[in-house]
Amino acid sequence: MKAYKFLRISILLLLLTGNGIDKIQAQDSTVAKPQLNISYSLPVNHVPYLEVTTRKKLGRKFKVVKNIPVNIYFNEAGPNNLLGKVVTDSTGKARIGFPASFKNVWDTTNEFKFIAEESSTQKEPLTAEITIKKAILTIDTTSEDGTRMVTAVLKEKNGGDWVPVKDIEMILSVKRLLGNLSVGDKETYTADSTGVSSAEFKRDSIPGDQKGNIILVAQVVDNDNYGNLAVEKSVNWGTPVKPMKDFFAQRALWSVRTQTPLWLLFTVYSIVLGVWGTLVYLVFQVVKIKKLGA
Amino acid sequence: MKHLQNLSQDQIIDDLLPQKFGRRGKIWTAALIVICCVGAFAYIKQLREGLIVTNMGDYVSWGIYISNFVFFVAVSLVGSLITAIFRLAGVSWRTPLTRIAEIIAVSNITFAALIIIVDMGRPERLYFLFSHGRIQSPILWDVIVITTYFFLSLFLLYITLIPDVRMMISLKDKLGKRFSKVYQWMASFWKGTYAQEKIRDKAITILCITIVPVAFCIHTVTSWLFATTYRPGWDSSNFGAYFVSGAFLVGAGAVVVAMYVYRSVYKLELYITDNHFDKMGKITVLLALLYLYFNVNEFLVPAFKMKKEEQEYLNGLLKGDYSIMFWFAVLTGMIIPILIMIFKKGRKPLPMFIAGMMVVVAAWFKRYLIVTPTLLHPFLPKYNSPLKYNHYFPSWEEWAITIGSMAGVLLIITFFTRFFPVISIYKTLEDKHTISQKIETTEQYESLQVS
Repeated sequence: MKAYKFLRISILLLLLTGNGIDKIQAQDSTVAKPQLNISYSLPVNHVPYLEVTTRKKLGRKFKVVKNIPVNIYFNEAGPNNLLGKVVTDSTGKARIGFPASFKNVWDTTNEFKFIAEESSTQKEPLTAEITIKKAILTIDTTSEDGTRMVTAVLKEKNGGDWVPVKDIEMILSVKRLLGNLSVGDKETYTADSTGVSSAEFKRDSIPGDQKGNIILVAQVVDNDNYGNLAVEKSVNWGTPVKPMKDFFAQRALWSVRTQTPLWLLFTVYSIVLGVWGTLVYLVFQVVKIKKLGA
Repeated sequence: MKHLQNLSQDQIIDDLLPQKFGRRGKIWTAALIVICCVGAFAYIKQLREGLIVTNMGDYVSWGIYISNFVFFVAVSLVGSLITAIFRLAGVSWRTPLTRIAEIIAVSNITFAALIIIVDMGRPERLYFLFSHGRIQSPILWDVIVITTYFFLSLFLLYITLIPDVRMMISLKDKLGKRFSKVYQWMASFWKGTYAQEKIRDKAITILCITIVPVAFCIHTVTSWLFATTYRPGWDSSNFGAYFVSGAFLVGAGAVVVAMYVYRSVYKLELYITDNHFDKMGKITVLLALLYLYFNVNEFLVPAFKMKKEEQEYLNGLLKGDYSIMFWFAVLTGMIIPILIMIFKKGRKPLPMFIAGMMVVVAAWFKRYLIVTPTLLHPFLPKYNSPLKYNHYFPSWEEWAITIGSMAGVLLIITFFTRFFPVISIYKTLEDKHTISQKIETTEQYESLQVS
């Protein structure tokens, strides 16, 4: 009886497990409809831009969908509000700068809606939209009693005034060669009740340029209301770095022609002069033979 | 050489003076000119449309042109082997072979230089090599050494020609006056005095001493074009010696072929004798064994290790896409010629000609194998490249230019043969005189009664 019970439970478990695996496999093999996303960015000292991304889910992974034509509109879809037409590239992305013709609308409006719509004859074209509040990001530094502080404020346009935004999360970092390094211990800093995010600068020995200048960066990333914003400030808080002797300026095999290693110049010119000198000598010998026969 | 004693001076001069082309000669020359014209047409097309007419791409950027260039450079080395080394070593039987070797050297080095220009996408920028060239680059070393070797070979050919050309000036009634002005310009000053002879002899010796290291340099530097590049098959410290030994072999093969052709066409059996073939056969076997030894080093050692990065390349050669060509080059270029020439019967003119042809043909394919398979197997993985980049087969334009350049080499040799003696008359007469003197001395000694 016990053996029968065990067998029954085992079979049931096997069936359940097998069925589960099947379901996972079925889910994996599902090919979803392509997705369209739109994001807004206000980079440092640049014109704001919009970026669309097209991708689709294959199993548990996203796969890039390229060559999708997309129209981007301002506030509502229509020919008068068309910001531009783009086609996604091999990475499934396309970017468009905010056109100068929309400057007046940009200056007088505090909240914008951007609509991305697949430009095709399909019944259900892909669409995406995003609503952004106009905002600016500022960065500043203070130094008291040997403590250096980095502060950043995100201000949104409210009526005719710029009002600091509370509780906003931002990144305060130092620009490095391959990425940004946080100025303190935390990865992100949250604005206080006055809208100020502040962090103590703890990278005292960080190498700067020849004068010791480093670039501080404040960023708001993927915020639902404000999009992506970034601002930079150069400060003299780094350690001056002596410029490395130019790699190609030294006398080496990989250098330019004016920086040939001396041993190579000596060897090549010795051989060339030796052989060509002999050849010239031999020509003179023929001239000598000629004179003897004249 | 003793047979020269039985020949009169007039007969030697008559036999060795350049002869007008017969019907066969005219057809041969016309065929070569036609092939050259087709090659020139293909090159004009390439000039107008660019290197797009070739099948070279991002990976195989050195195709058949560079293979051909290496082949020409290799053959050109024979000038130093036969003329310089034989002279310095005091090889007495060299006379009928030296000029053949010299003209083979000059014609091949001329086309080696030209084929490099053919490989350039923008040939009008050739002077950039000198105005912007970096002396650190082996390419510039190659440019320098090829130019130097060309002038040395040309000078060697000229200086050895002077007494013969002078003789031809005095025989202008027999030879016709068409080229007498050229002959006058070349050698009218030659009187054959002791002082002139002494200077000329010294100059040839200096030239021979100079040309040997330059010849070694030319092919070593050519090998460095490859060996200084980090690629499977080229990343080898054996490359310089491997190239030089291969060059001597193909040069010797080319001389053997030319010896047979001249002997048959111009009836020179009394001058290019079976003995010459026998001796050249022994030298060619030695060179083939040497080259085989370097091949074993070049392929067996990497194949024993079979490093992952080189695996695909080596397998492609030994048992893959290029295996037929590879084993053809090894068997036809080395093993079979060795087996033919190692026996005395194999060193007779006809078997030697066949073996020489095998060596030369296989040597061309060997150069193709040195260039192409390596380029198809870079160390860095191939990304986003069209499928056609994974294969290389030359376009008709590349074939036409390559075959045209080969015809050009043969055309130079053909025209040279028409206007200059292919065997030095002066040296042959000198050899005859030396032999006669030796025999006379021997007879005098033998006639002395021993008391």
